[in-house]
Amino acid sequence: MRKVFAIGKTSVVRLMRDRLNLFFVFVLPTMLIVVIGVVFGSGITPRLGILSVGDGEFEMEIVEELMAVDVFETTLLTDRGEVVQAVERGELELGVVIPEAFDGTIAAGVAAEIEYLARPSGSGFEVQAIVQGIIDDQAARIRAGRFLVEEGLAPDLAAALAVVDAASVGVAEVEVELDSTSPMATVGAFDLGAAQNLVLFMFVTSLAASAALILSRKLGVSKRMLSTPTSATTVVAGETLGRFLVALTQGLFIAVVAALAFGVDWGYLPAALAVIVAFAAVGTGAAMLIGSTFSNDEQAGGIGTFLGLGLGALGGCMVPLEIFSPTMRQVAHVTPHAWALDAFSELIREDAGFGDILNELAVLVGFATVLILLAAWRFRRSITA
Amino acid sequence: MGDNSQPVPVLVCADLRRTFGDRVAVDGVGFHIERGETYGLLGPNGAGKTTSISIIAGLLERDAGSVSVSGQPVTTTTVEAKRAVGLVPQELAIYPDLTAAENLMFFGKLYGIGSNALAQRVDEVLEIVGLIDRRDDRTDEYSGGMKRRLNIGIGLLHSPELLILDEPTVGVDPQSRNAILTSVERLGADGMAVLYTTHYMEEAERLCDRVGIIDEGRIVAEGTRRELVALVGERDRVELAASGDLAAAATALRGLAGVDDATPGDGSIQVVVESASARLAEMLAAAVAAGATVTGVDIYEPDLEAVFLHLTGKALRD
Repeated sequence: MRKVFAIGKTSVVRLMRDRLNLFFVFVLPTMLIVVIGVVFGSGITPRLGILSVGDGEFEMEIVEELMAVDVFETTLLTDRGEVVQAVERGELELGVVIPEAFDGTIAAGVAAEIEYLARPSGSGFEVQAIVQGIIDDQAARIRAGRFLVEEGLAPDLAAALAVVDAASVGVAEVEVELDSTSPMATVGAFDLGAAQNLVLFMFVTSLAASAALILSRKLGVSKRMLSTPTSATTVVAGETLGRFLVALTQGLFIAVVAALAFGVDWGYLPAALAVIVAFAAVGTGAAMLIGSTFSNDEQAGGIGTFLGLGLGALGGCMVPLEIFSPTMRQVAHVTPHAWALDAFSELIREDAGFGDILNELAVLVGFATVLILLAAWRFRRSITA
Repeated sequence: MGDNSQPVPVLVCADLRRTFGDRVAVDGVGFHIERGETYGLLGPNGAGKTTSISIIAGLLERDAGSVSVSGQPVTTTTVEAKRAVGLVPQELAIYPDLTAAENLMFFGKLYGIGSNALAQRVDEVLEIVGLIDRRDDRTDEYSGGMKRRLNIGIGLLHSPELLILDEPTVGVDPQSRNAILTSVERLGADGMAVLYTTHYMEEAERLCDRVGIIDEGRIVAEGTRRELVALVGERDRVELAASGDLAAAATALRGLAGVDDATPGDGSIQVVVESASARLAEMLAAAVAAGATVTGVDIYEPDLEAVFLHLTGKALRD
């Protein structure tokens, strides 16, 4: 084992000494996480704009309640064009347009329509769910008041509302949990984006590291290792360990940065860690196979980038698997990326545990085993045949 | 009780064979090396030297034959027997992004040297190869000669019984080359068995107790320098710098009495002849008559180059 660790440690030291590798392992993922996090992330406070031009009781009630919500920043605007522009520019996640004569419309017994403005992507729909809850509360109160007026139990809406308010005191509140058939509705937009980044970068970086193995063979160092009392199995295990440690370090780094900087919740941590470990092994196997198959590091770099990005795109790292067609979603599962993302998705959205992601873990371990065995066979042949 | 005074060879290899497709790279190579002996494999590029030592070091599978080091068989799958072997490959098999000390520490661990002993041994080896002052510099900052010396140092790290050096002076400046040759002489004198491959005749003559002359995968002659030169007899090697019809001139020279061989080359004819001085006028006349213009003459005493030419009809650097 001492020799395995010696080879593995030397691999890591060499990879970390290359500034380009450091850039790809740590700097670039961090930059992308920050950029994506700022644009879509849950690390920033969503912004709500309210167009309110009246000063009626009902309108003020809504405005005050919205202003009191602390999970988003609220801005009062007075022009609809201004609201539209701010939403389009991404300065607001959601615009709420309260129509003119809102109170008058309600007093006349007519339905008043509040307009929502949001971009199709982003966290506007989650903000809308909170706003809708407040408006629904007021609507229910008004409907109850109108009922009393219509039944002749109160002379006007104001008196009726007083009765409703008095009657509601002491009534237990019913908490309504908003749920949706949309899988994107209950998680921060960046939670799954972070998982996509993690999977994509771990694989791309692993493949890029295959060049170091080719260089080691080209220099004759790999062959020289076999001239020492060291078996080919030990050499392969050591080289594999080195690449695995780099992939694992990067995976953990991305997970920690995403969690600390953007509050990404990875779900049940031991299970998330198991997915990261399994996927690091997959990336390692792929890197070892490329590193032992190709004899030119530039050729391997090109193929590695193509495979890394291509499989990443097919596997759902660039566009979420959820918006793939059913057929494409099936095709995506020829890649280990899709299985890793499925596992993360279950952990992040469903609060899944180990038992829920055993299938995904088994497939990832299968991918890793096949790739590493193939790579070991190729590597040994490339040196001694 | 038997006679225990008979020395056990450190290396014994016999009837090594290896083909790559249709090409026979090694065809029945066999020799042995005693403790403290430096054995040279002398042959031109492509003669089968590197393939032979790759098989001997257990790096390359063989089609037939056997190798043992200190009595232990060596194959590509044996591990322990390799503890007795130090290999210095022709290529610079060192990590350019590690320092000299880091490279030595790395290979020392693979040789199974304990941590405490290794730190001390690394400095000893760096002293031997003259790199102690540059121990913590990355090797990609080294000159070619310094890299070659470190390459040798790695092979010495575990004090092997057999040191195999594959053309260790290729591409090295004269000063570093001399330093390398001096180191190898010292190792042999210290009792290490050394297998040294080269296509430089003068290195083989300077270093090797015995030389195996290898050509086209076969050892065509083996012995001490004196024994090999005796194969040629009291023959000299004459190099005629010439232009014109060199092939016709060589044919004419081969027809002269006392001339063993005449080989046309690039701007010269190599001639192996008995008593060159006495026959020089006759040789020049024959060459000129055959259509060559002779512009210079060099006469060499019998050496390994002459032996190689005599045995194979080729110059070592062909």
